[in-house]
Amino acid sequence: MQAPIFSLLDVERTYELRGRGWLNRTPRKLKALDGVRLELQRGDTLALVGESGSGKSTLIRLMLGLEPASDGRVLYGQRDLAQLDAEERKRFAREVAFIYQNARGSMNPRMRIADILAEPIRLHRLCEESAIADRVVALIERVGLPAGLLQRFPGELSGGQIRRVAIARALAAEPRVILADESVAGLDVSVQAQVLNLLRELCRESGITLVFITHDLGVASYLCDRIAVLYLGRIVEQGPTEAILNTPRHPYTRALLQAFPRFDMPLKASLSGEIPSPVDLPKGCRFAGRCPQAQSACRETDPVLTAHDAGRQVACLFPVASV
Amino acid sequence: MQDALKITLLSGASQWKRRFLQPLLRQHSALVGLAIIAVYVIAAVFAPWLATHDPAAQDLMASLQGPSAAHWLGTDSYGQDLYSRLLYGAQLALIIGFASVALGLVAGVAIGLAAGLMGGRTEWVLMRIVDGLLAFPELILAMAFMAVLGLGTENVVYALALSFVGPFARMTRGDVLQVKNQPYIEAARLMGVPTAAVIWRHVLPNVVSPILVQAGMRVSIAILLESGLSFLGIGVVPPTPDWGLMIAEGRAFITMAPWISGVPGVALAILLVALNLLGDGLRDAYDPNTRKDA
Repeated sequence: MQAPIFSLLDVERTYELRGRGWLNRTPRKLKALDGVRLELQRGDTLALVGESGSGKSTLIRLMLGLEPASDGRVLYGQRDLAQLDAEERKRFAREVAFIYQNARGSMNPRMRIADILAEPIRLHRLCEESAIADRVVALIERVGLPAGLLQRFPGELSGGQIRRVAIARALAAEPRVILADESVAGLDVSVQAQVLNLLRELCRESGITLVFITHDLGVASYLCDRIAVLYLGRIVEQGPTEAILNTPRHPYTRALLQAFPRFDMPLKASLSGEIPSPVDLPKGCRFAGRCPQAQSACRETDPVLTAHDAGRQVACLFPVASV
Repeated sequence: MQDALKITLLSGASQWKRRFLQPLLRQHSALVGLAIIAVYVIAAVFAPWLATHDPAAQDLMASLQGPSAAHWLGTDSYGQDLYSRLLYGAQLALIIGFASVALGLVAGVAIGLAAGLMGGRTEWVLMRIVDGLLAFPELILAMAFMAVLGLGTENVVYALALSFVGPFARMTRGDVLQVKNQPYIEAARLMGVPTAAVIWRHVLPNVVSPILVQAGMRVSIAILLESGLSFLGIGVVPPTPDWGLMIAEGRAFITMAPWISGVPGVALAILLVALNLLGDGLRDAYDPNTRKDA
């Protein structure tokens, strides 16, 4: 078995909140990520699923090295992200691409699309200066957009077009890993399908490793082979997509699945209440407060992520039995 | 492929027109200002050919003459030809106006960028210096610098430039603080774009337009200040043909020969009005903060 391309070893990320007023200065800690363990093999496609505030975006930012881990280590290949030297950092920048949730905001409004796409190519000297124009045209056609858009500015493109440009830019540097944050949220269904198909093709054809944040389980199942469900900064269940969707073991996963609208079933609100504040985590299982089958033991013991059947891990004291 | 490139080239040109030309063409008063300034610029550039006399040549026999065929706008107390002095004065005014603003802009933008991007202690020190500069009115500040630097055309440019550093620095810093937290800056860093390139390609273009608009409005202030300094006798040295100097010289003869002060005074006033019209038009056309139609 080859070495994983990304490994997260018990990663934690805490933010210090300063008390209000200067009499109450005791800092409180907000745990955005709490002991996340994750491994990515080359060619993996992983969906990070969870409600808003579950730590999905923080996790991605840590994997990109945008924020340091408070505890634990994020490894890219064999190297700790926090200890990359200039040369390795440059290589990391080329090999790992990020697609922002806010695609339009991630592009300089004063640059033409052609220049935006040419920037990473020029930066990493991926081809001759004279060949760049052809490469850019090839990229934009790769994502199914007409070359006429190249002379436009980001503000002049539609929501679907700009997301595809964002994908094209991510591809420009010929990355090995693409991290994408909610890249299809808020698109109308037909455009969403186009973008999803594009991403799926890319992963299948070029063997790119993909980490895709979404709160839409349908999107996750279409795009990714593996799913990791996050709740309050911890992975509560992970495993192969099919297994998780068919037989969710964690009550939270099951609740998420039930909250998914279906054509032939009335929708009942399966999860009551809000995700609790990560500032003062309750003792015991963090999902206990909202769990329909919480028992007294759940309020005492914090369950750890333990392996169940084939490649599946669940963090629950009383996993839901398979039907 | 060929077709696609042709189309993109064509649309590139029309894009430029739409983004830069059309907003300005819509500002009618700005066009009037621009036309007047064009006349001044032509007069300044072609002064050696348009002038009828040497601007500094004295002819005491012909002093204090009213407008005539020999001296179109009359002569001053030394018998210098006012028309020729007016043309060369335009040259000086425009050069000093633009040069001082350009200098102040470069220094101010550099300070603003450094303060906005580095933050921390550097920002604190730089902005306190800027606060100090901003505490004085421009004329007072320029006078103080002139007192230190000494008289002379170059020193006027330096003094005015120094008095403009403050406003440009503060404005740049404000815009930089806003831009540096935009996702596209972070995206560029993630792609591994070197810091200098991030500043040059991603930060600067996004802060530059309000700064350039501001610069356009400052040119008129610079010309006014320069004339003021010369009028007060702490600017350009006589017999350099300078409007402020000319007005000052004519002051003693204002009842006998009002044209000596009147001619440069009117020329100055018209130029300032034109510059302000253009500056307002530029602001309305390009400054995102005041853009109405966007």
